[in-house]
This record gives sequence, structure tokens and C-alpha cells, in this order.
Amino acid sequence: MKKLNETQLQELEQDLNAIRDEVLADLGERDARYIRRIIRLHRTLEIGGRVMMPFGFIPPVFVAATASLGIAKILENMEIGHNVMHGQYDWMNDPDLHSQTYEWDTVCTADSWRRTHNYEHHTYTNVIGKDRDYGYAVLRLSDEEKWKPRHSLQFINYILLSVLFQWGVGLHELESEKLRRREIRWRDKLPFLKEFARKGGRQAFKDYVFFPLLTLPVAPIVLAGNIGANLIRNLWSSTVIFCGHFTQDAETFSEEECEGESKGHWYLRQLTGSSNFTGGRWLHILSGHLSYQIEHHVFPGLPAHRYPEISEKVQAICHKHGIPYNTGSFAKQYGTVLNRIARYSLPDRVRTRLEGGSAPQAI
Amino acid sequence: MLERVTQSKTLHWLGRQLSNQDNPASWLDPLMTRINPMWIQAYTPARVEHVVQETEDTRTFVLRPARRWTGFQAGQHVNICTEIGGVRRNRTFSLSSSPLLWESQGLVTLTIKRLPGGLVTNWLHDQVEPGQVIGLGEAFGEFLIPEPAQPVLFIAGGSGITPVLSQLETMAAQDYPAPVTLLYFVRTRRDVIAGEKLRGLVSRHSSLTVQVIATNESEEPRFLKGEDLDEIPGLKSREVYLCGPKGLMDLANDLLHQRGITEDRIHSTFFAPPAPARLEGDELGGQVTFTQSDLQVGSEDDANLLEIAEAAGLKPQYGCRMGICHQCSCRKTSGTVINRLTGQVSGPGEENVQLCISVPRGPVSVDV
Repeated sequence: MKKLNETQLQELEQDLNAIRDEVLADLGERDARYIRRIIRLHRTLEIGGRVMMPFGFIPPVFVAATASLGIAKILENMEIGHNVMHGQYDWMNDPDLHSQTYEWDTVCTADSWRRTHNYEHHTYTNVIGKDRDYGYAVLRLSDEEKWKPRHSLQFINYILLSVLFQWGVGLHELESEKLRRREIRWRDKLPFLKEFARKGGRQAFKDYVFFPLLTLPVAPIVLAGNIGANLIRNLWSSTVIFCGHFTQDAETFSEEECEGESKGHWYLRQLTGSSNFTGGRWLHILSGHLSYQIEHHVFPGLPAHRYPEISEKVQAICHKHGIPYNTGSFAKQYGTVLNRIARYSLPDRVRTRLEGGSAPQAI
Repeated sequence: MLERVTQSKTLHWLGRQLSNQDNPASWLDPLMTRINPMWIQAYTPARVEHVVQETEDTRTFVLRPARRWTGFQAGQHVNICTEIGGVRRNRTFSLSSSPLLWESQGLVTLTIKRLPGGLVTNWLHDQVEPGQVIGLGEAFGEFLIPEPAQPVLFIAGGSGITPVLSQLETMAAQDYPAPVTLLYFVRTRRDVIAGEKLRGLVSRHSSLTVQVIATNESEEPRFLKGEDLDEIPGLKSREVYLCGPKGLMDLANDLLHQRGITEDRIHSTFFAPPAPARLEGDELGGQVTFTQSDLQVGSEDDANLLEIAEAAGLKPQYGCRMGICHQCSCRKTSGTVINRLTGQVSGPGEENVQLCISVPRGPVSVDV
């Protein structure tokens, strides 16, 4: 990681705080209008998708209905749910947009998400051993984790994780790796499993039981469309999220580096551990502005639609402090993610030989 | 506070499964604000029918709430909510009309004085026009006409007249049999709210006496005096209702106690305007009330609400403790806090705060 001394870190902190304060002071009607417009679009797409779905025996209608519902779920999860739960709109004082009470349209309960994502991931970003989002305890993405034979098939795991992403995220807090290592007991996880079953059941009931039954004569079509919509959302959100921290140059950190760190050091870690991708306005909206992952990690509490505006200032600060700002086209960034998953599935000796470097010293 | 109770349990359950919202009826609200705001479900929408200028700084807003509103009793208050600059603001006002107007014509009125520097009252005066929709909560409050009828004395000051107007109108309509006296204190005669209505009530209702006293028209301020009370026939047998600025209420309480009127016969209500913002850093700290836990503790200096709660043995949800994760966000129901990160001073009303970066300035209540 780029090293800065305490004075430089303090300066970095002040520079970034200034951006944050400027946006906070400017929050108001524009932000409220934006999020309400997205919510209206979400409601329209969801209703549209649900209403069209029973007519899915006409192939183009099936495609439109599935896409409409899939995009609705993407918008709700990425641009509304994720961002609302970060407290980005708490200042609006609208009980329906409050970080602590919002519940989203996916298997993972909002409470579990706030613990594992808002707290663990955003506080200990990319700290190997602390940030369980790094590889989701399923994938090996850094040589700080020791290679094991099971890693050689991790590309299949990655595809499975993407296809079933909402269930993977829902089960994230189970900490299956710790159960496997017997560090925790199943008994400890009972309250979590109960909540998981309740929310997972609710989501499955809605999409796979209630709406198909409601339109019984065409139930298989509705079921297929609903599965399709969930699949679209799963693949897209997984892809976007993987582009946020697992690209070529996104850095990882050790627990020792981060012990008792200052806010400036935390900022530095967010800047170097995250990566952006470029694209059109709708690509950003559909990614919940996680295409501006760097800005999001530095300012998780600022309304996400502001990230494009502050991105230039953040880049200028990075430039000033000599900190790399990791961005590129969506295709390029995603390519490096796939490459990383593939590379680290190999034993280090094979991997380094392929990379053309020298084998690391004995570990 | 503003949510209404939803119909059947099964439907509510199903709505929650489908919408993931505890109040599923409001799922469509964002669309309804565009289609017809009177169909909003999160609160009872009320359309502004017209606005009457009462005095230079006081207006009466005539509202038509959606029919599902449950009504009120004379002397009660309501919370209204409205969005100003993207922020939802909740404020409490007295209903100034009689419940009869609601029952017969579906209308209610709020009589609101412009507070200097007040965000919501100024917005109401400057921005609200007929046709606009604001949110209404259910009515509440114990400032009610005695039943069965007993002699009554009202002492009102300034805009404190508003709940009294509702009561006098209701009493006149039922030809309230016991004597009713109103001592109405205003700065100058020009500040009399609803003067014409009061005159009409006196001529219609034989047992009503109204005395308007201007405090600031003579050289010496003319406040409430012992003689004012002594002149009221059968003072000792009256139920007394006080509504006005704190000075008037304190003075009235003292004078009434001196005359042997016991506490149980005195009914007070007032919503004080927010204290002006103080900027000194050494004014931090204050009494913190944790409403859910029914606990009160003092705090000093720049201790934040999370630390204060934990020192008091509470365990509110928290995460990063540095203002990032919003795990500790919760409702502040009253009081002013300073955001430790930005130095920003909060409003006095109900809103969301992050416990770990909120430092109380003066008394604060939080829903923990």
C-alpha cells in the first residue's frame, strides 16, 4: 500500500472531509427528488413486470415482463435499498427511507446486511481475515490466503455464487468457514438461521408461490419469469460487486497495518482497496453508483447519485497525494476480476510461473 | 406517529410479505404523490381549502382531511408533516375549529402564528397555497371541556387562543349551561386573533364573557393581575384552562394558587417555540432522556449519545463508532444535538440522528 506519514494522512483526512462537508451542507430537495424518482421508476417497473408476466405465453411479452421485474429488483437492491440502508437518506426524516427500518427485496435480512456489510465490510475493507466480503469466504483472491486443493475449482464456485447470489449474501453471516473450523457452534447461529428462514421464506413465497398461484392457469410461465428476474438481478449485482474490490490493482491489507489506525489511514485504505468502472448514466444508476466504488467507500453516507459530481475532486486529491485511482471500462475491470479468480485458483508456484515472475520465498 | 392502523390482519400480513414494508399501504405513496396526493397512505393527507389572514403574523389554514381521519375533540392538537427542502418536518398545532365543522363539512382549521426564525411556520405562511396537501396525524391532548358542564375560566395569551377558539365554538353550539369567562392577553389590539369570531360567540352565547387585555399599549406593561381574577364571579368553583407564553402561565399559576385554586382544577397546554440557537462550545451536554428505557441521565462536555447511553448501562445497536456505518441511527424525539463530524447543529424536533457522533446541547430525548 502507498505509505503516507501521519502529517500526510492528516492532510488527506482534511481534504476528504472538506468534500464531504460541502455535499452535506448542500443536501436538500434535489436529492429527495432524485431518490423519489428512482422509487417511482421501481414501483412502475415492478407493477409493470407483475402485470405483464401472466401474458408471458407471448414470447416478447415474457422477455419484457422478466426484464422489467429484473430491472425493478436491481434498482430496488442497488440504488434504493443498499443506499438507504447506508443512511444516505436518513436526513430526509422519511420513515420509509430510514436506514434502520428499511427492508429490501432480497433474501438477506436488512439487519444481517447492516452488520456484515455496513459495519464489517465498510470498517475493515479488504483487511484479509477481518473483511469477510473479500472472496466471501468461498474464493481465494490474494496470496495472503494459503492455497488449498479445493481452490483449483473455485471458478465453478464463482459461477454458482453469482447465479445464487441473493442466497449467498443471505447466508453470509452464517460464517460457514468458522463453523467448518469449529470456531463457532451451530447453536450460536440459531437466531440468525431463524431470521434467514423467515426472510428467505418470504422472498420465495412471493416470487415462487404467491404470484404463480395467483395466475394459476399460467403458473409455470409466471414462475419461470420470476426465476428469470431474480437471476438477472443475481448475476448483475454479483458482477458489479466483484468489480468493486477484486480488480487487478485493488489492494489488500493485513490486520497489523490497520491496528489502531487513524481516520486518515482508513481513508487511504478505502481509496486503494476499491475500484471504479466507467460507463453511461444508466450503467451507473443500475449499479447503484457502485461504479463509483471508491467514492462510495470514502463517503458511504453521502447520497450515491452525488458520486459522479465529487469524483473529479476525489481524483484530484488522489493525484495530489500520489495515491492510485483505480478505474477503467466495465469490460476491462471485469476482465481483471475473472483473471484474478482464475489465477488464484492455481498453486502459487504455477501462478507465479505463468505470471513470469519468480516464485515467492517459502512461506 | 402519523401511521394509520391498517384494515384486516391477513391483508396486512400479505402486504408485508409482498412489499417488505411494515406499513405496506404506503408502498404506492411515491406514485400517489404524483397521481393524487389525497390517496397517500403513510399519513392522513389534508388539502388546504383556503387561507385566512387573521392578523399581520397569524393565518388560519382551512383544511379538508381525507375522510378516513378519525376526528377530534375540542381543545386537542394534531401533528402535521410536510416536506421542506427535501426534509420531512413534523410539528404540533392546536385545532382552532369546532369538531362540528369537521362533522358537518369535513373541514378543520389550524391557526398559526409566524415564529421569528421558525422554519415550519414561516414556510406555512410563505409557501402554502390552496390546493396543496399536507400530512395530518391523529388528534391528541387532554385540554378538554369539562363534562358534565362546570363554570370555566380560560386564560389565553397570543396564539395560545387557538385551542380555546375550538372550545368556545363547541360550547356555544351546545349552549353550554355554566358561566364561561375568557381573559385574552394580546400585545396590542391589532394582535387579536379571530376578533370577529369572538364577538359573534359572545352575542350568541349568553353565558360567555370575553375580556381582551392588551399588555403593551400602555407605558407600563399590563400583565395579568390579582384583581382580574378577583373580579370573576365564583372563581373558586371554576375549572381553569391556561394556554399562552410561559411568563403568563407562571404568573397565572402563582395567582391562582394564592387564591386557593388547587392543581387539579388547572389545565395547561402550550408548545413553546424552540430556544434560539446558542453557539458557544461550552454549552455542550445536558439532560438526556432515553424514552424506550425510561431512563434519564445527565451529560457533560462533548460526550456523544452513544457513550452516554452505554455509561447508563444501555446497549444500543452500534457499529463503527465513527459516523460511517449508521448502525446506531435512531430517532431523536426532541432537543438539539451537534454533529461531531460536521459541527452542524440539529433542529429541535423529531428526526434521525447517529448516536455515535451526536453531542447533546441542552436536554435531549432519544427513542432508545
